[in-house]
Amino acid sequence: MKYAIETFDLTKKYKDFTAVNSINFKIPKSSIFGMLGPNGAGKTTTIKMLTCLAQPTSGTAKVEGYDVKDNPNEVREKIGMVPQAVSLYKDLTVEENAELCSDYYGIPEDEKFDRINDLMELVDIKYAKDKRVGQLSGGQKQKASLVASLVHRPDILFLDEPTIGLDPTTKRVLWNLIQDLNDSGHTIILCSHDMHEVDMLCDNVGIISTGNMVAYNTPQGLKDDLLSEQKKEHEKYIQNVLGKIQEESPEKLSASEINNISSNGNVSYLKKMSFLLENSNEDIINSLKNIQQVHSVDIAKNGRVNLKIEGFDDNIVNDVIKTIISKNGKISSISTEEPSLEDVFINVTSEVDEDARA
Amino acid sequence: MIEFKKLKWMVKKEWLSLRRHPGRLVSIIAFPIIMILLFGYGMGGDLSNLPVVVVSQDHGNLTDLTLDTIKTTDVYHVVNITTSTSDAKAMVDSGQVKAAIILPPNYDSSDGEQKTATLYLDSSDQMGSQVLIPATQGIFNQLSIKQAMSQQAALSSSSNATATNTSVITEDADTSGSLSASLDSAKSTINLQINKIYGNIKYMDFLVPAILGMTIMMSCMMGMGASIAGERETGELARLFMTPTSVATVIGGKIIGKLSVEMFRAIILLIAAIVLFSVTIKGGIIPTLILLFIGALCFVGFGIMLSARTSTQEDYSQLVMPFSMPMMFVSGVFYPIETMPWILQKLAYIFPLTYLNDAMRAVMIQGQSLGDVWLDIVVLLGFTLIFFVVGVLRFNRDV
Repeated sequence: MKYAIETFDLTKKYKDFTAVNSINFKIPKSSIFGMLGPNGAGKTTTIKMLTCLAQPTSGTAKVEGYDVKDNPNEVREKIGMVPQAVSLYKDLTVEENAELCSDYYGIPEDEKFDRINDLMELVDIKYAKDKRVGQLSGGQKQKASLVASLVHRPDILFLDEPTIGLDPTTKRVLWNLIQDLNDSGHTIILCSHDMHEVDMLCDNVGIISTGNMVAYNTPQGLKDDLLSEQKKEHEKYIQNVLGKIQEESPEKLSASEINNISSNGNVSYLKKMSFLLENSNEDIINSLKNIQQVHSVDIAKNGRVNLKIEGFDDNIVNDVIKTIISKNGKISSISTEEPSLEDVFINVTSEVDEDARA
Repeated sequence: MIEFKKLKWMVKKEWLSLRRHPGRLVSIIAFPIIMILLFGYGMGGDLSNLPVVVVSQDHGNLTDLTLDTIKTTDVYHVVNITTSTSDAKAMVDSGQVKAAIILPPNYDSSDGEQKTATLYLDSSDQMGSQVLIPATQGIFNQLSIKQAMSQQAALSSSSNATATNTSVITEDADTSGSLSASLDSAKSTINLQINKIYGNIKYMDFLVPAILGMTIMMSCMMGMGASIAGERETGELARLFMTPTSVATVIGGKIIGKLSVEMFRAIILLIAAIVLFSVTIKGGIIPTLILLFIGALCFVGFGIMLSARTSTQEDYSQLVMPFSMPMMFVSGVFYPIETMPWILQKLAYIFPLTYLNDAMRAVMIQGQSLGDVWLDIVVLLGFTLIFFVVGVLRFNRDV
């Protein structure tokens, strides 16, 4: 069995509203899968169906080879979940909550406390084991929730917004923990709105929008897809514009005119590069504009010079730097920017949104 | 064994929560005591020492006897005895006293004419009126009988003597019209003997068994809202349902946990009733506790049925109110069902609290055994069965 999770036309309807619309995807074993989507897109409903907390209306899913409809108890044995809202009993201590979960999973009495102790040490919450969950900080609560969710040694761990509201240091601790758990063989399903978190941790990412799985790839694959898609759109746009102009005026346009049209067109797919110059002047800006691959030059309020460039390779970076130096420009800082997962997310979900409105 | 551990955790969780929130524990103990005190002293007491003014415009034996009788009756607290009818009425109108008992100017004359005493009454105080009217009628009835008997005796010694009658009319202070008919002087010497088969039952004795039932009803129904709908809302229920555990085990655990707390509450209630109001439980404490247990089980079942598909505690509270409030007032907690309008009487019999109250009163006041109230128990268990079956069938595992 290659996949930890496989869905087959998984659908959930609430009366006339379709929360999840016949989605199909596979999550390889021992991978980290990021599930993205706008609020109300169907992520939580999908997770509920995969964790047997909601019955699919039609279709089904297999979790570690067990069907969520036919073998829910076997599925429950295989999964653990850390929900967004801490679902532990607030009046019980960290250890008592873990003990309660152990007994609900039927962990033998002689193993129970060893497992709980090991887990509390692993997530570094043992020092607060006798504290009531209601008295813990956000990060401590998530750690306590992890202990309770892992006590039965599940193969798959679902994490729903595990770092929401946590400070950056605690976030990093949890990210390390997630990575460690994955390294030890756990399949992790991470539901999050933190694109950086998903980009950094996940092997594969699925984007759900209006109940449909609208994108599925590796984080880099999604970004490359976006770039190539936008490039195609851009080329299509340019061809359309040029076609219209040539229809109206039979004489051919010069290369510089074509360049001018394309640089004024939709250039959102282009990669970005920016500088902070100590002695920015008009001469430098005009020289940068004359470089063929540079499509636009803007100066931000903070003085930063932003360039949009096609075909991002070492040569163009060299050309830009050489041009600035030749005009006696002094560079304080330089940065380049590729499309982010956030760009992918906004692009994909806004397309779906536009389709839905249409 | 595994299922037992799961059930045990629900009981343990209830008690650990209580222990760690002393405020809640105080509420569990204090609430029933406050209920008993509130209803016991507030509603269970008898009205007495109602302030009245007496208008005495004549002198003689009958006037003296009447004044003495009024002064020594607990119901009245005679604030003043005056000769001015208008002053007395002014005192009633101003709210200084609840009534003026006005004896006529010819009260002591022996001319044989009917004498009409007037009860000038502040009828805006309904409770006071309900006590003052029969008490005053009773006094003048007695006086009439005495008067008639003494005149009968005098008649036998002197054929020229003339019979004298007294009567009382009630005059409403608000409307100043005569409301009740004059009482004819009593001529009858028939004496009514009252045999109270369960002793001298106070309103408090009538109230306590039903207050016990009502308190258990309220706490069970409200408690199940927090236990099921509340945990569904906050996610604890999802945590339990993520484990390989059946709905029956989860619900069973909730029930046992809740019942253990409710039985503790019932014991506190009984102790409070015994200590504070000297309530005697004629049928014994164990049968009373068994009845309360059956009642608690029934209302916990009712709570489960209602919370089976509610997703928030607020939804549950809104859902339970239309059931709990009518049940509280229609099931004969405060007044006997027979005194209510027929439609409410019919309604009362669809509420389980009616049967619990009936059984509780039979055991606590009349000293009946559980066997004597078998019908109430069967009906309660029938309700319980229906509630549980519907509750489990309707229960939505989707969270």
